[in-house]
This record gives sequence, C-alpha cells and structure tokens, in this order.
Amino acid sequence: MQCKELEAVLEHEGLAPLPPAARAHLTKCMACQGFFADLTTIQSLAQELPAEANPPERLWVSLRAQLTAEGLIREQVELAPATPWWQSFAAWLRPRTLATAAAGIVLLVTGVFLSQKRMTQPVAVIPNPAAVSPVSPRVVPPVQNSAVTPRPSPTEEAMANGGMVLNQAELAVPNMQLAGNSTVDASLRDNLRTVNEFIAECQQHLKQHPEDELAREYLESAYQQKAELLAAMMESGGSEH
Amino acid sequence: MHSRRVYALCLRMVSNPADAEDLAQEAFLQLFRKIGTFRGESAFSTWLHRMTVNVVLMRLRKKTLPTDSLEETVDPDAENSGPKRDVGTADLRLSGAVDRVNLERSIEKLPPGYKTVFVLHDVQGFEHNEIASIMGCSVGNSKSQLHKARTRLRELLQEEVRDQARQERQAAKSHTGPES
Repeated sequence: MQCKELEAVLEHEGLAPLPPAARAHLTKCMACQGFFADLTTIQSLAQELPAEANPPERLWVSLRAQLTAEGLIREQVELAPATPWWQSFAAWLRPRTLATAAAGIVLLVTGVFLSQKRMTQPVAVIPNPAAVSPVSPRVVPPVQNSAVTPRPSPTEEAMANGGMVLNQAELAVPNMQLAGNSTVDASLRDNLRTVNEFIAECQQHLKQHPEDELAREYLESAYQQKAELLAAMMESGGSEH
Repeated sequence: MHSRRVYALCLRMVSNPADAEDLAQEAFLQLFRKIGTFRGESAFSTWLHRMTVNVVLMRLRKKTLPTDSLEETVDPDAENSGPKRDVGTADLRLSGAVDRVNLERSIEKLPPGYKTVFVLHDVQGFEHNEIASIMGCSVGNSKSQLHKARTRLRELLQEEVRDQARQERQAAKSHTGPES
C-alpha cells in the first residue's frame, strides 16, 4: 500500500478499524504514522468538547413573543382580575352552570308548592264519631281520605318533575372528571349514592303511605341534598375543564 | 435536550453567543412553522438539526466569508477542493502539544461546510447517514468532508503549535537578552 492509498482508506473507512494492509503500511511509514496519530488526537479531543450548551432564558422569552406575534401559539389568559363584569355573564351560559341553576329552580318551585300545600290542605281529623257532624262539609271522613287513591297534587307533580331534572343532571356525573382530588370525588359519589338510596326508600314509603307528611318532608330534604351534591360535583367538574 | 444541542451547534458554528442565540431562535421558529410537515421519515433530532444547519448556513452565506467559500467545501465532485497533504513530509506531532482550547480556536477557522460535518460527527456524535440527511448530501460526501475537515484542522493546529513555539522562543530570547 502507498501513502495515497492509505489516505483514501482513512477518508472512506474512517480511523478505526483499519484494514490489515493499512496497518502494515503504518508500521513502515513514519509520516503516515504521524498523520494517523494526529487525526486520532483531533478526534479524541473533539469528543471531549461539550455537545450541549444551555441557551439563555431570554431566548425562550423572545421565541414566545415571536410565536405569539405570528399567531402560532396563544398567550395563557390570566383569569379573575382582568375580566370585565359583563363577561361574567358568559359563565352563566355554560351547560353545567345551567344544569345547576335548573336544579336550584326546581327545588325552589318544590319548596313554594309545599308551603302552599301546608297552608291550603285540610287538616286530617282523627276519627271521632262523637265529634263528627254529619252535615259538616269541611271535614273529610278519614276512611274516605285513605281509601281513595289521591290524584297527584301540584306538590307531588313538582317533586316528581324535580326528581326527573335531578336524575337527568345525575346522568352527566359518572363521566365527569372532578377537581382531581380522588378523596373528595369518592366522598361526593358515596354521598350521592346514600342520598339516592334514601330517596328511593322515601318514595317507596310514600307509595304505601301517601298521607305521611314526615316522609314527604324527608323526601323534599333528600332532593335538596341531592341537588346540592350534584351542584358541588358539577362545579368541581367545571373547574377541571 | 434538543434545545441544548441546537444552541451548542449554533454556538460552535458562529462562535458568538449573541449570534448563536439569534440562530437558535430562528431554528425553533422554523420548527414551529414547519412542524406540520414532519412526517417521521427521519428522526426528529435529524429533522431539527437539518433545519438548524440550513438556518446557520443561510446566515453565513449572507455574510462575506473572509477565507474559504462554502461552494468550495460542499461540492462533492470538486477534486481540488479542500486541503492537500504533502504525503511523506515530516510533521509536528500534535499529541501532547494541543489541547481543547487550541482545537476550539482551530475549529473556528474552518470553512462552514467542513465545520458543520466535523461538529456534527466528532463533537455531537451523529453518524454519517444522519449527517447526509441533515446536510442533504451522500454518505460518501459526508465521509470525505469529515476527512478533509480533520486534515485541515491538523494543519491549523500545527500552525498554532509553531506560533506558540515561536512566541516562546522570542519570549525566552527577550528575557535572556539583556542579561547576556
């Protein structure tokens, strides 16, 4: 092998490993030996040079500004302090807020109907043959009162409608990602399950004993709790998204 | 990680932190502008470095090059391009005589084409097929450019060593002169 041939080998094959013919030439030629040693020194020194360097922070600030100016990225919008008051109306148009508001309205209507019922409903009279006047049109005989299946009163209709709205709102809950705190999430869901069981119990009881005012109050209270729970869950879910 | 390598490449290519910062920013801007065209045919790193090299070489082309032209160093068919070695002549041995500072100074003096291939291969550790993809050339051309870059560096380093030796001799002469 000649010196020029060795250089061609070094150019195309690199510094290592060298073919036997090239190694044989290196043992005989001092100039090529020096050349090869120098290239190896350069290569090993270059490998010690840093391949990475930390760019200054202002590079990213500048890059962000440029990207924002070009519309390639959007600046993160700061929340509360800079929001004008009229923009807060938009928050009321979110579906979850509307659902929460609807549940609240249903509860309010239920409450109004219940209070009206208490004022207008005749007081049930304990059957006392001595006290009952056969001509008294106001007093309903208790036997008749319990024997006839009562038509759903406005209160019951309102409560039934409220229950339906709440059930619809509840449908969104299983897929809802809450605020990211799994303990709070589990606790809310547990409470909802308990309230649902209690509502079912009250409804069952009221079917069998429609005159039981205490059960009705419990049911009303349970619906209220459920609405509050759903509102809390929706708010938590809303804060996540 | 990519940002550190991109910035290091820019810094090595222009040897000026302010210019390097500017070039790295331009490279990342290109990245955001063209990210939709990345099809995964090459590694992301290769794709990003190709953009960076293009940005750097484009900038260097706009500037007046004082010594070597880019065309001279990136033309694969140029038989007479690049440094030539007088085979068989006695040379200074670099081993033990040069350090990283000498090498960095000599790398700065390399023409952009040589410098790019040398930095990508010997400093940043890319393979020749990756460099070929980054530079838009053949693997053979990448190998050839690297060899010429190393040979040119050897000459530059030998000049440095000679200059240093000359300066040391002059310093010693001026130091001992008044006494004798």
